[in-house]
Amino acid sequence: MYKENGQEIFVVDGHMHFWDANPENWRNEYGEGWIRCFYDFHTALSPEEYVWPFEKYCKYGEETLIKDLFAEGYVDVAILNSTYLYEFYKKGFNTHQQNNAIKAKYPDRFILCGSFDPRAEEAGLDAFRQMVEDYPVQGLKLYTAEWRNGSKGWRLNDPWAYKYFELADELGVKNIHVHKGPTVYPLNRDAFDVADVDYAATDFPNLNFIIEHIGLPRLDDFCWIATQEKNVYAGMSVAMAFIHSRPKYFAEIVANLLFWLGEDKMIFGSDYAIWTPKWLIEKFMALELPDDIKEEYGVDITPEAKRKILGENVAGLYGIDVSVHREKLSQDEIGVKLAAGA
Amino acid sequence: MYDDVRLSLPDTLDREVIFKRLERVLDPELDEPILKLGFVKSIEAESDHLTIELHLPTYWCAPNFSYMMAEDTRRELLMVEGLHDVTVRLKDHFAAGTIEASVNAGKSFSEAFPDEASEDLCQLSDLFLRKGYIRRQERLLRNLKNAGLSFEEIALRRMGDLYFEGESCLLRCSDGRICDLGTAEVAHQYLQRRSELDLDCSPTAPLIIDLRGREVTAEGLEEYLIRARTVRVSLQANGSFCTAVLAARKGKN
Repeated sequence: MYKENGQEIFVVDGHMHFWDANPENWRNEYGEGWIRCFYDFHTALSPEEYVWPFEKYCKYGEETLIKDLFAEGYVDVAILNSTYLYEFYKKGFNTHQQNNAIKAKYPDRFILCGSFDPRAEEAGLDAFRQMVEDYPVQGLKLYTAEWRNGSKGWRLNDPWAYKYFELADELGVKNIHVHKGPTVYPLNRDAFDVADVDYAATDFPNLNFIIEHIGLPRLDDFCWIATQEKNVYAGMSVAMAFIHSRPKYFAEIVANLLFWLGEDKMIFGSDYAIWTPKWLIEKFMALELPDDIKEEYGVDITPEAKRKILGENVAGLYGIDVSVHREKLSQDEIGVKLAAGA
Repeated sequence: MYDDVRLSLPDTLDREVIFKRLERVLDPELDEPILKLGFVKSIEAESDHLTIELHLPTYWCAPNFSYMMAEDTRRELLMVEGLHDVTVRLKDHFAAGTIEASVNAGKSFSEAFPDEASEDLCQLSDLFLRKGYIRRQERLLRNLKNAGLSFEEIALRRMGDLYFEGESCLLRCSDGRICDLGTAEVAHQYLQRRSELDLDCSPTAPLIIDLRGREVTAEGLEEYLIRARTVRVSLQANGSFCTAVLAARKGKN
């Protein structure tokens, strides 16, 4: 929770990871390439005092995570992504099975995301049903760029993906976080194309599609789609990180999102451990749009908008009653420790 | 200029000529020259064989765009007098081996990735040339607005009203007034892309036309500009992200 002028702001980190990229877990050079690329993102955009050594970055462990999110990072609830990447990591990068250990320990602190891969076709549907039965899966994180048996990716409007969306809807898993990334199949197409979001969002009006990283590097295409679809949301991780070293761009990105989508459709995310929530949130709370941008776009970021973006919007999508949940959190292990330390 | 590029050239080759050719190679996705973005790491030549090493922002940079940059680099450099052979190297890229072997053998993209590419890159390349057009046009529109022109006035302007004096760009307005639009580069870039896309550049054509070559009316200009602005922000944010990540990557080598 973030406190300002006696007000308590409920913070949900809409996008974070608990990964294991220890060299022992690398299956091949891609495992190393993957985490080194993340590390470049980390060092490129973090304030200097928040940069970790590479070894820690590969595997940071539970204690660090709890400290960075809840003790120092103002986060009340965190949405725990599952990313498998079995072709790069022997035990997976951060699977729902691994993530569930920390979820089980602090059940009210985490929202666990499962996943599906439509290329598993019929057999995968049963496994998906089983996952939802066995684990407290509340949302899904889809990673269309994942490699699998020679295929380098899939699209949200593939026929088999639709069968999984139907099942997700039936099982009550309504929130679909989508990472748009370099899907390299077919290679001659735009790897970051977000057009498939448009089809899926139209055809599944019961589901919410949270597009992580606001479709970057296709912010423009994302804005056109999100303006037309009621159930498409802007997951702001990655874009958030511009706030430190590129504040003017960040302000202009925020102005675009406010202009096209509005403050009810924007969702904060840190992408931890790529970046840590503490500095992102402090800088976001201090954010003021420059006058020229305010004037040009005709928008402003109010304290109310910040509250919605930092937690209320996504809490609504997950049916979290903020005051009831706050009470629960004050009594869990982390809450008790925080109260004792305060 | 371009001091961070490691150079080793024989006396027979002029660095300025090489840079001039390389300035034509763009990152298609960002619509910026790769030299300016810092993607060129080193250029070494012995007699008529030149080897150029590119350093892209990430290990995962999309292979299609990477291919285009490598291919364009080789094609431009082969036009330098005195060079007969050009080898392009991609440093630390997941598909470096395939891309290098194919580009340096003069193969097309679909020959390089027969299983994963359904056709060649023209369509993709065109998509980003078009986005770049909107971005360049937005800059010009912004200068027109800043010079005090109303949407009505902008819609009336023709290509023939625009002219250059040294580094300045000037525009003849309907009341005979001459408007200073600032640096010539903005208009030059717009005109260059407009012509690359085969859009009408004749003196009587409207100054502002959309991607289908249609005139944008005074009533339509406001919304047109709002959308163009978002395209510009998207491209700029990507460019900014890529250069920051590349700088971090270079710092570790």
